[in-house]
Amino acid sequence: MFLTYICCDKNLGLALLNNKNTNMIKKVLIANRGEIAVRIIRSCRELGIKTVAVYSDADRNAMHVRYASEAYHIGPSPSRESYLNADTIIDVALKSNADAIHPGYGFLSENAEFAQKCRDAGIIFIGPSSDAIIRMGDKITARQTMIEAGVPVVPGTQEKITDDESARKILDEIGLPIMIKASAGGGGKGMRLVRKEEELFRAIKLAQSEALTSFGNDTVYIEKYIESPHHIEFQILADTHGNTVHLFERECSVQRRHQKVIEETPSPFLTPELRAEMGNAAIAAAKAVHYFGAGTIEFLVDGNRNFYFLEMNTRLQVEHPITERTTGIDIVKEQLKIASGDTLSFKQSDIQQHGHAIECRISAEDPFNNFTPNPGIVRHISEPNGLGVRTDGYVYEGYEIPMHYDPMISKVITWGRNRKEAIDRMRRALYEYKITGVKTSTKFLERIMRNTDFAAGQYDTHFIDKHKEELLAPCDDDNSISADMAIIAAYFDYIKKFEKAAMGDFALSGNGDKYKWKDYGLMKALQRI
Amino acid sequence: MAVDIRIGSRDAKVKLLETDGTKATIEVDGNTYSVDLVMVEDGVYSILHEGKSYNIELIPGNGPKNYFVNTYSASHEIEIIDAQSRYQKSRNSSSIGDSDRLISAPMPGKVVRIPVKKGQNVSKGDTLIVISAMKMENDYQSPIDGVVKSILVNEGDSVTNNQPLIEIE
Repeated sequence: MFLTYICCDKNLGLALLNNKNTNMIKKVLIANRGEIAVRIIRSCRELGIKTVAVYSDADRNAMHVRYASEAYHIGPSPSRESYLNADTIIDVALKSNADAIHPGYGFLSENAEFAQKCRDAGIIFIGPSSDAIIRMGDKITARQTMIEAGVPVVPGTQEKITDDESARKILDEIGLPIMIKASAGGGGKGMRLVRKEEELFRAIKLAQSEALTSFGNDTVYIEKYIESPHHIEFQILADTHGNTVHLFERECSVQRRHQKVIEETPSPFLTPELRAEMGNAAIAAAKAVHYFGAGTIEFLVDGNRNFYFLEMNTRLQVEHPITERTTGIDIVKEQLKIASGDTLSFKQSDIQQHGHAIECRISAEDPFNNFTPNPGIVRHISEPNGLGVRTDGYVYEGYEIPMHYDPMISKVITWGRNRKEAIDRMRRALYEYKITGVKTSTKFLERIMRNTDFAAGQYDTHFIDKHKEELLAPCDDDNSISADMAIIAAYFDYIKKFEKAAMGDFALSGNGDKYKWKDYGLMKALQRI
Repeated sequence: MAVDIRIGSRDAKVKLLETDGTKATIEVDGNTYSVDLVMVEDGVYSILHEGKSYNIELIPGNGPKNYFVNTYSASHEIEIIDAQSRYQKSRNSSSIGDSDRLISAPMPGKVVRIPVKKGQNVSKGDTLIVISAMKMENDYQSPIDGVVKSILVNEGDSVTNNQPLIEIE
């Protein structure tokens, strides 16, 4: 009797833990690496879901391998031979008895064929249907779908450009400036801006050839070019039972070469009315493709606050934590629940924005030297902490950041009761963030936090270009007191090395003996002079 | 011990006057500083000067006496020029002609393309080599008008930080 009681209680406890769903996913393979793999495993751990990491040659030491409950090697360092190898990944999932695959972002996350292959193999793909990925992935199809759903799109063509005559006709209709875009495009590739009529045909040819090399498809179309746009996106969550909600917006206008650098929510540019209107449009957009899972509807908003559908990202976004911070909803957890067949446990009216959140992306690149990538060994790292600060990262002391993958090494997210407090806190957090061994973008980000236009919330996608002199001037004043302090520190470090060598104290434990021996030889040579 | 320390393009004369535990008095280009200096972590120094707190991070540079130094507001390249390096510099300057230029890898990466051949004439600004790292391709240009003297790597090679790539004369 007693035993039965315990047993029942245990089942009940598990059921509650798993949101009363006995079909809850039990083991997830994370087909990704870096910070996002670590971030996904965190939510799995909270839900009691086992995790399987996969790794390439370069990633044996990576944090996601250390943090997951299981890890399997999938191939050489280049992504296309490892993290993009759909068949190997599915094979590992089957062998390790994972019932689901979370693709993260990038890599295979928006690959419809991979989603279908997972389902064919009896594995849950944590994301939307392949049909939704295909319909949103092709820009021309997505535009047509949105027009049918009553969601505003940027004026332009709905069909591929086939000849010069029809291109000129469209140009006459919508007027200059225009943008030529690749239908299969993304990340700024295959895009050409046309400001003068005589540039039109050449721009189309260039866009077509770039699209062909980048995406293997030369289909391009024409859109009106929106001057000084804001890039504002809405987070969507939809279950498989037809319930769709949005978790409000993210302002992503601080961009460099079409790559987001800083995101914040709420957007300082939106009015409550526009927010409500865009939220409804985002839900309509998702419903038009029977979307389920987490997704993001990206909009362009012009200076007069007209908004246009840009594209849908059918996956988790890099910048999802700011939404989590202001709504309190763990988006990865919701993805896992939706994929397990759960109904959303909240309605639109339950979701509110509390305070203000900002995210800065920290990259291993040198902002003052044309953002040159800077892979290498992390010597020291101390991450910011304290009230209202979250860091999502994956590097640790002694870790070698590989050259094969994205330079983003972590994200700092700060929260404040209002926008000013969130900015002040971000400035403080970036000051605390110390990483040596590799160059990072923290100083560049700090300068943005100090910029008066940013503080006033007055910026659009041209922000970095407009302020590049202030933001990107090299910070190498070699004649300040601070520079003299740098000289003093270097002097003492040199003296210390010298004395250590003189005392023969070379066999200290430390960063690898071969360096010590090298130092020792050097110091001996030095003593002879 | 007095040494020269090069910071960027400035050569500073540095002379230690006195030490007492963590406290030191030191002269930099005629300015006397009384500082309290502690190495708080391997390669990280905390300096207190007139009540102000400075955190200085030293990253080993290309040679044993070279550092990349980060302060709160700036990054510097620093080189210690002691008797030994002065001696070496005086020797080197006689053996290597000034017109020889060596292009080294500024970061680890993979050689994507080498659009020049040995013996080819190049002009200042011509792309000599393209290296990819972290999904980005970077072009490296010739700093001078000259001739490609030697190419030390092949397309497809992985290269490490500061590895010599191409010599121009």
